[in-house]
Amino acid sequence: MKLLPTKPLRLPRFRTYVPAPTDPKVFWFNSERDDIVADVVRRILERHQGDEDIELCLNDAAYAEIRRHEARTDEGSKNRLEYWRGIVRRLSRMSSEGKQETLRECATKMAYDVAGNFDPRVYKFAAKVVPGLLTAVMNPSSVLRSLLDSGARLDELVSAQGPIDKLRALQRKGTIVLAPTHCSNLDSIAIAWVLLREGLSPVVYGAGKNLFSNPIISFFMHNLGAYRVDRRIKAMLYKDVLKSYSSVMIERGYHSLFFPGGTRSRSGAIEKRLKLGLAGSGIDAFSRNHSRGIRRPVYFVPATINYALVLEAETLIDDHLKEAGRHRYIIEDDEFSQLERWVSFFSRFRALESACVIRFGEPMDPFGNRVDDEGRSLAPDGRTIDPMSYVTHRGHAVVDPARDAAYTRELGESIAHSYGVETVAMPTQLLAHVIFRRMVRATPGLDLFARLRHRGDIAIPIDELAADLGHTRDALLSLEQRGRIHVDSLLRRESPQRILERCLATWDGYHLRPVAKVVSGSVLAEDPNLLLYYANRLRGFAIELASAANDADRAAARDIEVMELRT
Amino acid sequence: MSRVAVLGGGGFGQALAVAVARTGKVVTLWSRQAREPAHVNILGTTRLSEVADAELIFVAAPSIHVDGLARALGQYLDGTHLLVHVSRGLLGDDLTTLTQRLRTATPARRVGVLAGPLVARALAEGEPGGAIVGSLFPEVTEAVREAIGGPTMRIYGTADVVGVEVASAMVGLLALVIGYAQGSGFGPATTAILATRGMAEATRVGVACGANERTFFGLAGFGDLMAAVAGDGRPESLFGRALADGLPLADAAARAGAFVEGAGIAAQIAAFAERHALEAPIAAGMAALLSGKVSGSAVIAQLMSRPARGE
Repeated sequence: MKLLPTKPLRLPRFRTYVPAPTDPKVFWFNSERDDIVADVVRRILERHQGDEDIELCLNDAAYAEIRRHEARTDEGSKNRLEYWRGIVRRLSRMSSEGKQETLRECATKMAYDVAGNFDPRVYKFAAKVVPGLLTAVMNPSSVLRSLLDSGARLDELVSAQGPIDKLRALQRKGTIVLAPTHCSNLDSIAIAWVLLREGLSPVVYGAGKNLFSNPIISFFMHNLGAYRVDRRIKAMLYKDVLKSYSSVMIERGYHSLFFPGGTRSRSGAIEKRLKLGLAGSGIDAFSRNHSRGIRRPVYFVPATINYALVLEAETLIDDHLKEAGRHRYIIEDDEFSQLERWVSFFSRFRALESACVIRFGEPMDPFGNRVDDEGRSLAPDGRTIDPMSYVTHRGHAVVDPARDAAYTRELGESIAHSYGVETVAMPTQLLAHVIFRRMVRATPGLDLFARLRHRGDIAIPIDELAADLGHTRDALLSLEQRGRIHVDSLLRRESPQRILERCLATWDGYHLRPVAKVVSGSVLAEDPNLLLYYANRLRGFAIELASAANDADRAAARDIEVMELRT
Repeated sequence: MSRVAVLGGGGFGQALAVAVARTGKVVTLWSRQAREPAHVNILGTTRLSEVADAELIFVAAPSIHVDGLARALGQYLDGTHLLVHVSRGLLGDDLTTLTQRLRTATPARRVGVLAGPLVARALAEGEPGGAIVGSLFPEVTEAVREAIGGPTMRIYGTADVVGVEVASAMVGLLALVIGYAQGSGFGPATTAILATRGMAEATRVGVACGANERTFFGLAGFGDLMAAVAGDGRPESLFGRALADGLPLADAAARAGAFVEGAGIAAQIAAFAERHALEAPIAAGMAALLSGKVSGSAVIAQLMSRPARGE
């Protein structure tokens, strides 16, 4: 694999592909790519008008790029280093036109590096074969049947919930911006598969360049519309290019996806602090279109991706606990890059019915208003209102970055709220929550790290644990009735005893360390870190989930909720 | 048609309308019962639909009425409206702010809060002073500045909306507490310790809600509290003094002459602090006192016997 090129491959094309009128917008991408890049570059040049401004921008880019390339030894880096050093040397002597031209050249290079590709052949191939391949990986004993029976098993394992019919209707009326929670690199694959299966249009999204290091995944992602985001490039110019790129794509009607969490949730908890740069480009696109008289709506669709088993759980929680999240922003050596972990991961799912539930939330306009089936914005009293009123000031639609930044923050709050109510509680999360609460009860007064050192020495009799699980499940179901959360079907239906067995079987053998194991009639909390990881998903509900009659449970729940503020 | 409207015919609502009218602008003042306008530039109305003609709407109603009022008003609003409330209230034990409620109950998004050392009398008379607008939207602050700013009123702005709202609510509570202490015969040293430790408590609660610490040291926090302590005659202080005189709650409220948010806030802050493991002894003590569980002297004794630590 290492010998394969890391630059994404494209298939040669002998005949120009002419999209059918019914094809999703992204099928037009290749023919529009040059225009899109030109649009992005035009916008960058508009933003940097004066000589001084351009010089500052180029100097910042050169400084960041020189630092980055100095640390590398490959041939490409040497060339790039020379290129940027040359710019720095010439910059002070350049004429105004020269500076503008250099900025144009740099922005164009960056924009082409970001821009993806969309090959309908790859899309059609992936649609046919990938489900079969994934199913085969999950169940190696029936490879042939799996390949023929494309996706049948995957359908059961990855389920989709929410207003899907409405999304199908809305994607024809405006531009959809999907904003899911993020906890695994599998998220983009799972989402892509669900969109395809449910008859929803493919989306373009910015994938970290580290994901492109696997040539096979890189090939599919690159050719299915993903654009590359290189987090190692710190230049402001590059960030501007990225934002402008996503804004131009939304303006032109390309359905898009971004993860507002920015990176995979390290703690396992649902994201609350969202990075909204790209949501901002949705609002920017809306107000730019409207100020030019283009009344194409933008719909934001929050979604939660809920796994019973998380591929990279161990690395993520360890990273969270080391508080190294900031330093290891790009994790390149996690379970995602290890094939044997994939096989083991998928094979574990046989114990469960749904391994992954993707739940789409109610679509909203860029200002957090619900929309009806026709895509019209609704006021809280159910009236339809004109979203243009939000970008109107004294009768005129205007672009106002300060105002749009405020809308973006508010939209972030609406998305975060939606994450809470659209979460689907999975069996492993509830079991982990119950075991973790028992651990907290057993270690009163200790801080989180002292608690986590109690590895394997907290034993809970199975019957007691099952009873605890039963009560907590009831509390969860009552939260569901009040519209606060959703509950996975297996968790709703099965007996606590059976849930316990299935969860232990799911964990067992996938995670390198046992999460919890049964020893002489009791469950031992073997890996507090992983228990914390899975339990964190329900952390915000701890007090409601604790038994009202049990003081020790309530005290432990309070500790768990407070932990949220301090970790 | 006026660009500014005020919702609420109480003392503060009327004073705000006068403050706008004094700058030469026409202002619509909505109240439940028809009233004689106090200024030629004030158009009185009892119809909410007329309020919606304005661009900037001040909501000057007690927090318990804001939800119902906002829902009723919301039917006439869209995204162009700017809503600014002046309440010192927070809703429920999770301390939902009124700007949050305005956002969920109406289609308006450009919302904010007006706070600081503002009392009805000084506002209506045009005494030199200042106030602060908490809003994420610079245009909201600008609109308030246009409406009531001028030679006698300096309007500052901040994006720390929750900070302003929590600070304002806590100052209301502290004014009540200090009024009570002063009415009980305690001197300036007691006032000072209640003010400083009270503001430390307010800051802890605010930070847990996501506020910026600095906000509590500005107009919305200490600035506002100084005016209360200096005796600006605000209803919260009068209410606290009336309680110290031994009046039952209803009579104390009648003497204060306006709805006092601080009475409800004490219990809400205490519950919030307990859930989030924060120390809020002054709010908890006041909540216990107002519920009639303990006497004033017991609360003071309990506050004074707490172990003192580094400030």
